[in-house]
Amino acid sequence: MWQDLWQYFSTHGYEVWMLTLQQLYIVAIPMCAAILVAVPLTIVATRVPRLYPWVIGISNAFQTIPSMALLVLMITIGLGIGLLPAAVALFVYALMPIVRNTYVGIAGVAPEVKDAAIGMGATKWQLLWLVELPLALKVIIAGIRSSLVASIGFATLAALIGAGGLGSLILQGLGMADNAIVLAGTIPAVIMAFVAEFVMGRLERWLTPKGLRG
Amino acid sequence: MLSFQDVCKRYPDGTTAVDQLSLDISHGELVALIGPSGCGKSTTLRMVNRLVEPSSGTILVDGRDNRAYHPVELRRRLGYVIQQVGLMPHLTIAENIAFVLRLQGVAPKQRRRRAEELMHLVGLDPGLYLDRYPRELSGGQQQRIGVLRALAHDPDIILMDEPFGALDPLIREQLQDELKRLQKTVHKTILFVTHDMDEALRIADRIVLMRDGRIVQAAEPEQMLRAPADAFVAEFIGRHRMLRQASEVAVADVMIDNPVTMEVHAGLAQALERMRQRRVNSVMVVDSGGRFAGVARLEDVTRALEQGLPMRVGDVARWAQTAVHPDDPALNAMRQMLWYRVDAVPVVAEDGTLAGLVTRSALAGVLDDALRVTGAEPLAEAR
Repeated sequence: MWQDLWQYFSTHGYEVWMLTLQQLYIVAIPMCAAILVAVPLTIVATRVPRLYPWVIGISNAFQTIPSMALLVLMITIGLGIGLLPAAVALFVYALMPIVRNTYVGIAGVAPEVKDAAIGMGATKWQLLWLVELPLALKVIIAGIRSSLVASIGFATLAALIGAGGLGSLILQGLGMADNAIVLAGTIPAVIMAFVAEFVMGRLERWLTPKGLRG
Repeated sequence: MLSFQDVCKRYPDGTTAVDQLSLDISHGELVALIGPSGCGKSTTLRMVNRLVEPSSGTILVDGRDNRAYHPVELRRRLGYVIQQVGLMPHLTIAENIAFVLRLQGVAPKQRRRRAEELMHLVGLDPGLYLDRYPRELSGGQQQRIGVLRALAHDPDIILMDEPFGALDPLIREQLQDELKRLQKTVHKTILFVTHDMDEALRIADRIVLMRDGRIVQAAEPEQMLRAPADAFVAEFIGRHRMLRQASEVAVADVMIDNPVTMEVHAGLAQALERMRQRRVNSVMVVDSGGRFAGVARLEDVTRALEQGLPMRVGDVARWAQTAVHPDDPALNAMRQMLWYRVDAVPVVAEDGTLAGLVTRSALAGVLDDALRVTGAEPLAEAR
């Protein structure tokens, strides 16, 4: 079997590489969008307490829907098949951990630190940029990290609705009952998840202010 | 400088936190707002920098209604120190001290210089602290930085909300003394909220005692001690000062509960070193179970060392008979001191363990309090 796998890589190396790249941007585009939407929205929700139940409730609901159902849902709401519905599904799926951690991170800043900053004359923006965000950053990054790792797993399923990526290789292998092809899709996906986990872990540590490192 | 005119704070639920409060604080004055919890002292302070907005009345800061300032501008004119310190954990000590300057957009180099200046002002080594982080500092050190932070932008008025309330008594007294010293050099107007009468008496130029949102008495410490306005004031002073007749004061109230001790097996040279370090002329000797074995005095230890005697601390321990019990009246300790001609008397509990030490200066404090209560005048006038 390993020999078959080696064989497959050597003959279809370019194809596997292209599918890996495809997988990468199937994950990257929705992730970036999710970060850009979830973080500012949640920051607003920390200022307008009425908003938070909605923000966390909706993003929670998206994550609770089984991944397969979520993908099929995209077709039924008229997005069709291909990259677009997959990206939308991944986007909504990625929101919750980021929303939750952003909120927890900012709400978790010690009240006396905020009281001191406000009492010393920090403006609302200064409070956010100089105090709350630096102190919450570690937790926010941790949220992005778990969201990202989950998304990489989810993205292999996106092939089911024709989005391509490594999932299509796995599906093809399953269809042909050819373990080598399945592995050719699985192994890069696993490596990708591990690399993402590692890089984000490093980033998390690197972005933690020195005064907070244990 | 800072003036309250008929200031009220009522909450929507009908409770009145501050009721018709009027108070003038002059330049360079340190005023302590004191009272039982819930008396409105903290609310009063927080209305000055508009963390709480008054329901009615006016607060004048530098002769101008504080509502005429933008809250951010107002707060940057004032210094603010809180009980929980609230240093920014992600910033170095230097950055913390100069935080207000950063808010104001002062350049990093100038901020650093100001932080160094302030460290020198209180005799801390800038090289040792400036690049460390708050969590590397003890509670007392953190609040020292908290106070410096409030001075960084050189405000005329500093608000302090129970700044030393969370510190242990020894450190608290140190910081109180430091603040008093600092106040003499920088001449700030300080509004200081506390619930500790000892603290107020120690540092304040004027004490304002509050109850139920109203001022009960505002007076200099001496005047408040001599002429409390009513029973409430008298009781408040009394409870906090434990002013009692010397005969009523128990040994336990005046003893030092962590005297310098050594085990009986310790060497003499070690004992000598310990005394030198702690600047005492005797150590309490205890056995391994913490039971009191005697006092090793400096003179006995040095004599034994000079003669080269092969002795341990336990061998030079004497004076066990001078010990008193924690429940004994403090006067007994004084009697022992006079009788045995010693400077300090060990305190030993029923089970034989060492409970503490009564020193001459501790007893002097008791007498001092007692004399104040009875209003005794100095004898020197008679001569």
